[in-house]
Amino acid sequence: MTAFKKIEDNLKKEAKNLLESGKVTLVLAYAGGFDEKHPVPYVAKAAADADHLVFNEYCTYNMARYLTRYPLGTKIAVAVRGADSRAVVQLIQEGKVRRDDLVILGIPATGMKNQKTGEVIDAKTTASTINPVLYDVLLGDEIHGVKAGSPYDVLAELEGMDKDARWAFWKKEFERCIRCYACRKACPMCYCDPCFMDASRPRWADKSPTDDGTLMYHLTRFYHLAGRCIDCGECSRACPVDIPLYLFHKEVAKECEAMFGQAAGMNIEDKPAMANFKGEDSDQMLG
Amino acid sequence: MSFEPKILGIACNWCTYTGADLAGTTRLKYPQNLRLIRVMCSSRINPSFIIRGFQLGADGVLVGGCHPGDCHYGTGNLYARRKLAVTRKILEFAGMEPGRLRVEWISASEGNKFAEVVGEFTDQVRTLGPQTKFKITKNGQ
Repeated sequence: MTAFKKIEDNLKKEAKNLLESGKVTLVLAYAGGFDEKHPVPYVAKAAADADHLVFNEYCTYNMARYLTRYPLGTKIAVAVRGADSRAVVQLIQEGKVRRDDLVILGIPATGMKNQKTGEVIDAKTTASTINPVLYDVLLGDEIHGVKAGSPYDVLAELEGMDKDARWAFWKKEFERCIRCYACRKACPMCYCDPCFMDASRPRWADKSPTDDGTLMYHLTRFYHLAGRCIDCGECSRACPVDIPLYLFHKEVAKECEAMFGQAAGMNIEDKPAMANFKGEDSDQMLG
Repeated sequence: MSFEPKILGIACNWCTYTGADLAGTTRLKYPQNLRLIRVMCSSRINPSFIIRGFQLGADGVLVGGCHPGDCHYGTGNLYARRKLAVTRKILEFAGMEPGRLRVEWISASEGNKFAEVVGEFTDQVRTLGPQTKFKITKNGQ
């Protein structure tokens, strides 16, 4: 995998330069874990740290998730793949980070693999954007000619079901939820403090993993990510019981794109779809 | 005994709720299945209210607001329209019957329309039958 090696070398070089010159104080990227298959999210804070950085096909973490953990104004370089760059764009749209504070290290990568299963995360399942949409430095060569099809193709089966079968499907999936909130933790767009689930006034849902509390949590989270989910799939990969949350997020994203005419995180000038309205909105959307 | 649905109504203070008042003062008849909650604007409605309504036993949820362009606050209902459109899609994809959520723009002078909509919606939910999917049955399970 020479393409990955090249990206890794460029990543180390760029990180070192940026930290040495003092352009940034942090570089968010990946470092080696206990073996090659398990890299970890990593924050390089000094030029010497840059040597720890790695990049391989298992580096699936969305590093945009860590941007909102630092105070506004911190100079940060962040390594992002296609979908992750959309998360950065979306965060800029929402005013959570500023474009001037960021150095975006874009990574065009295909053939990324799920750490747990070893399966290739192809464009149809989670990460539908291969090349970063916004970057300052591109660490590899742009990838063209990958026939991905629509990212929404994977929804065909669920959309084809009747509503009762779909309810049975989701009920079965949600029943397994242990409410560890890994999906929330892994999500780059989940930065609310406190999260509605942690609030006790009003107490929106049970804190213990009851069926109704779980339903409320997931449905509300799908709503909170409407028009914002950038399809990185980290929620589903982080899930310890493998609930395919990405399918629901994808469906909501698809509907939002159809109704509001914009996909999340594609253009820095867009306003977030749910914090906006247009003259051409019509009652048709209410079905 | 025939099934009588419980309908949760969430109405904006300035248009639909006033419309409901008008329906009342003009002695219009509409089904008593509706439990109406007043909010200051339709954009005040958090989609979780609707989900919670279903969980606590509502068979249908009716949301009322001002006609687009008529909002007391200028643009509240235009945001609400987008929010409720997404809510409907989410309920639908989760497997809820889409007919259980209805959004209507009813102005303060449309008491007739209010009574008509409530009647129509109640009949619609009655044919759909009891809502059991989201409803909490016992001990939160």
